[in-house]
Amino acid sequence: MKFQEIIVKNRELEGCDNESKYKVTILSNIMVHQSKEICEYFLRMESINAKVSLGEYDNIVQDSKKNQNQNVNAVLIFWEACNFINGLHYKIDSLSQLEFQNIEEKIKDEIDRVLVNLKDIPLILINRFSLLAFNQFSLVKNRADQMIKNLNAYLEDASSNNMRLIDIDKVISRLSIQSSVDLRCYYSSKTLYSVSFYKKYFEYIRPIFLAETGKIKKALIFDCDNTLWKGVLGEDGFDNIWMYEEVQYLALQLAQKGVIIGLCSKNNPQDVNNVLTSHPDMILKDNNIIIKKVNWNDKVSNLRSIAKDLNIDIGSLVFIDDSSFEIELVKKELPEVSSFQVPSKEYEYGLMVREVSNLFYNPLETKEDIQKAKIYKDQFKRSIDKERSGNIESYLESLGLVLTVYIDDLNYSSRIAQMTQKTNQFNLTTKRYSKNEIERFIKDKCKIVISINVSDKYGDSGITGLSILDIDNYEIDTLLLSCRILGRNIEYKFIDIIVNIAQNKGVTKLNSEYIKTTKNQQVADFYEKCEFIKTGEVNGNSKYSLHFNNYKRKDIKYIEVKNGK
Amino acid sequence: MESRIKKAISDVFNIDTNLINNDSSPDNIENWDSLKHMDLIVTLEEEFGIEFTDEEIVDSMSYTLIVNILKNNNSCGS
Repeated sequence: MKFQEIIVKNRELEGCDNESKYKVTILSNIMVHQSKEICEYFLRMESINAKVSLGEYDNIVQDSKKNQNQNVNAVLIFWEACNFINGLHYKIDSLSQLEFQNIEEKIKDEIDRVLVNLKDIPLILINRFSLLAFNQFSLVKNRADQMIKNLNAYLEDASSNNMRLIDIDKVISRLSIQSSVDLRCYYSSKTLYSVSFYKKYFEYIRPIFLAETGKIKKALIFDCDNTLWKGVLGEDGFDNIWMYEEVQYLALQLAQKGVIIGLCSKNNPQDVNNVLTSHPDMILKDNNIIIKKVNWNDKVSNLRSIAKDLNIDIGSLVFIDDSSFEIELVKKELPEVSSFQVPSKEYEYGLMVREVSNLFYNPLETKEDIQKAKIYKDQFKRSIDKERSGNIESYLESLGLVLTVYIDDLNYSSRIAQMTQKTNQFNLTTKRYSKNEIERFIKDKCKIVISINVSDKYGDSGITGLSILDIDNYEIDTLLLSCRILGRNIEYKFIDIIVNIAQNKGVTKLNSEYIKTTKNQQVADFYEKCEFIKTGEVNGNSKYSLHFNNYKRKDIKYIEVKNGK
Repeated sequence: MESRIKKAISDVFNIDTNLINNDSSPDNIENWDSLKHMDLIVTLEEEFGIEFTDEEIVDSMSYTLIVNILKNNNSCGS
């Protein structure tokens, strides 16, 4: 896309609501003004209402201090070695050993200061240092290599959980040094990177922002013929199909990290099952595949029913198919699904799947992610039993549900942060928090962070519910449940638990709020169902209050509550 | 070619195409500062598939000067 089109489109996409802006600050020691437009564009195209501001030229340390308390969601730093001092890239080999060390020490000291200043910012992105553009011809290891290596090691050691290091060299390599760097403007105005570079760069780092704002993909759905294997099973037969081994290995690795792998294929189900269970060359096994829609229905309906069965938003699906007809149909009917066609050059297929894998970027890998395959399989057993049993209440009673409650438990801070970032549907306020912020709340005496683990006779769903109470303000700041435990009245039991905990803290009432998003319609009247009194409504957002004197506990007998500590 | 240049100036500086004439320059277009000038250069380079020299970047500080530079550039499609 041309820069001109980006400028125009970006203007169209700019929202007017100041409150809900996702604020990004870009700090740099070079000129980066063109990054603003492109960063905003890439995020706004993903419905992240981004507002990017730029720091002063070569003022990273001071600017990091300024951004401390500005409610900034993310800080991105372009810290270029060539401008550590003016002309470092050509002076470096003339420096005395002492001067060389002094520069390195100065930068290390500045890294420390910047990271301290930014410690409460939810997300910090720093490019790994690079002098590739200037050092590309050097045949022997030189001081530039040495300094870059030392400082990158330092950066790595200083890394904290709100920080992501970006391999800028990968972006430069994909595009070429010549296209990434505009020396014409570097010597005149310290503008190092080209517009083409920024386009590739923000495309590359976009998944980090998607993960941070709960928009990351959750499921990878494959067609079968000419997608998982070469050949058409129904025509060529079991013995005459050839596995796309690389693609299957990559999919397996995603499955092991908690990505849901599924099939959506027009085939005879029995034929596909035979391949999954007994083809000697299959890398993905039947137990890695969480959901199968192998039938003769159209793919749009099948993808819709996959999202419904998994109880996830359809926008969190990624779909790969070899047929341009199917891909075009899905793109047209379900634009929110990311659809990819198997490349016509077979040898590029592995690379494509690697690129697609980034859409599942997950910085905080948790126990729940790794067990996800089992958790979702358990979910299906439950839904089959539910259909059989007919009567919901008696079915729920048969489950043996146990909620284990953890209060202010630091062990779960990663998972808690992840839930605030990923949960969209049963989420009353959709406030996204970083691990650092969660840890701060846990330590804060005025806040209570309550997480619940859900298990039943089919298995353990892990930590899947969260509420954050602000005791000083009598307020439920956050209330959310993971979609995989919905439909079991756990939410009502959770309100009982919250009221009990608040009462124990001497609180007599709680205020709460429903903040409307495009995805949380199902909980619009949840507080009313729990007998909270509505106290106001603005633009679809409602405020409520509950005096405990008036609260009748639902007291659901078939859900047992245990104390986690 | 003139209409494409005007469209580029209009999009980059967020002004109506009708307001752009032979005299248009940083003197009478408020948004046309040195940073936005670089945005205009990139836009023109992408639009016409050319590369300005560093001198041309400095010398292209008005609508008329841009037209002259692009006209002198043989590789520039119409």
